[in-house]
Amino acid sequence: MPHHEFECSKCLPERKKHAVIKGPGEDLSSCLPLGYLNTIPGSISERGCAYCGAKHVIGTPMKDVIHLSHGPVGCTYDTWQTKRYISDNDNFQLKYTYATDIKEKHIVFGAEKALRQSILEAFDAFPDIKRMTIYQTCTTALIGDDANAVAKQVMKEQPDVDIFVCNSPGFGGPSQSGGHHKINIAWINQKVGTFEPEIKSKYVINYVGEYNIQGDQEVMVDYFNRMGIQVLSTFTGNGSYDDLRAMHKAHLNVLECARSAEYICNELRVRYGTPRLDIDGFGFEPLSSSLRKVGLFFGIEDKAKAIIEEETARWKPELDWYKERLKGKKVCLWPGGSKLWHWAHVIHEEMGLDVVSVYTKFGHQGDMEKGIARCEENALAIDDPNELEALEAMETLKPDIIFTGKRPGEVAKKIRVPYLNAHAYHNGPWKGYEGWVRFARDIYNAIFSPIHQLAKLDISKDEIPDGKGFVTSRMLSDEALDENVKHSTTMRPYTGKYDCLADLRGKTYTFPEPEVPLADAA
Amino acid sequence: MNNLMENRIEQMVDYIMKKCLWQFQSRAWDRERQNEEILKKTMQLLCDEPVDLATPADRCFWADAVCLADAYRERFQWLTGMDKTEIKDLMQVLKERMDYLTIKGSLNEELMIALY
Repeated sequence: MPHHEFECSKCLPERKKHAVIKGPGEDLSSCLPLGYLNTIPGSISERGCAYCGAKHVIGTPMKDVIHLSHGPVGCTYDTWQTKRYISDNDNFQLKYTYATDIKEKHIVFGAEKALRQSILEAFDAFPDIKRMTIYQTCTTALIGDDANAVAKQVMKEQPDVDIFVCNSPGFGGPSQSGGHHKINIAWINQKVGTFEPEIKSKYVINYVGEYNIQGDQEVMVDYFNRMGIQVLSTFTGNGSYDDLRAMHKAHLNVLECARSAEYICNELRVRYGTPRLDIDGFGFEPLSSSLRKVGLFFGIEDKAKAIIEEETARWKPELDWYKERLKGKKVCLWPGGSKLWHWAHVIHEEMGLDVVSVYTKFGHQGDMEKGIARCEENALAIDDPNELEALEAMETLKPDIIFTGKRPGEVAKKIRVPYLNAHAYHNGPWKGYEGWVRFARDIYNAIFSPIHQLAKLDISKDEIPDGKGFVTSRMLSDEALDENVKHSTTMRPYTGKYDCLADLRGKTYTFPEPEVPLADAA
Repeated sequence: MNNLMENRIEQMVDYIMKKCLWQFQSRAWDRERQNEEILKKTMQLLCDEPVDLATPADRCFWADAVCLADAYRERFQWLTGMDKTEIKDLMQVLKERMDYLTIKGSLNEELMIALY
């Protein structure tokens, strides 16, 4: 096994089994780090907690819901200043955040009364909202509050409201991934099958593991709708609570982030016989293949092909413009979970970037299998890294850019490595054909930023050039380019709009009539 | 297995590993079913044999198989020079290799956890 031991972690020998280098000839039977284990004491992990994974990743993207944390007010910290899962109802779920504000007296006397009071106040304050999710936190789980009983009593008193309770306290797993798991299983156990939806099309899917980061979901739903497919529910970005109660009525589960949402797809297959189709919404080729597969399933491949041809013709010349300028740039692909495999091969093939390292904060070994299978040789793969390991990897690998979260991203900046926010994006959406070009543009702007070039100079020791004039990103990126590429008349930089979602939100679609069940036809 | 076949199998495996996701479901029994059904249907498509599309699950396997068969035809010209028996032998070896890499030889310690 080609394990890698960091100099900085020699005092934590257990860490050695959490990093591998994919050497020549290595395959998955010889090269895989450990994963999804408790963080080793002494290693300052970048992980989140199981409550965060349940609420802030999966629960809160639901748009027409009061999301209430049963715990101290600090547990509600993550909202629109850190999360970018927008919605088409004026971001209701991000604009308002709720907690029962648990204090020391509640630890002594219990907090169920405070929970009941908070539920009633929240419904009174937002009378148009009749749906609520409640999240147990470490505090209230430890004192044994029965949130389910309180919610049940309120639903009995107010029959027009519906409440979902998620018992995923922060300590409920090694990382946020434990919370993803718990909320998946809780949702299918409590809510799926309790609502009868309106079926508008002959072709009906659930779009699962998609969180509408800066509009990703809306871009993808547009493609599906143009194919005549009804997206019955999205789990959970821009998704509606009642639509998600009706997941059992779809013909197909189209799964994007298998890390966070494969559990519910597996259960839907077992309980309702709905097949699971794993797709990639990032990158021209993977996205085209994904749309084609969905089209094949329903017998409407021609509809998928029409979209693929139209979108590729529109956006490929712009992707190629960036590819020519990003070729050979080294990247550390350090996201939370699924993007390590969604992006590992396609940023290499379609943008020319060299992935020198992949890591995952909360991924399982299955995510590393996908990531290592997809990345090129000699990449360093790290599970649950700590800050010192990340610094050592950057010093050693000398990447041109990092794709990661904002906490490790700011650390990268301190050693003058630019970063893009892999979780919340910079100028997304990054899914879809246009989105993929926007991602390439963000990478280009980060690497070739003139300000960043200046930041590389250390005024305490470097010679500061005083005879050099103003430079632009274009001057930096085109310096060594072939003249034919530089003056190409076919390739061009991004020409889309600042807000590429506005036009989508006003669109109307035509769906083929749903098939009438035989019993109804008779 | 001779060097030629080994080389071809590795090309086919490399394509699946880089471009597909269906082989990496989270449990061993799901991986067995995915490998079996999708590679069987891919073989049938490459051999111009009928494919069973009776259930929604079959259609889902078939959608992945169609894309894989098309990619193999496009990338591996040597497939056109093979007869049906040779293709079936090749696909059988591919299936065994995929089973090894994703199940039997896998280092993933979660494959046998009983629940999802």
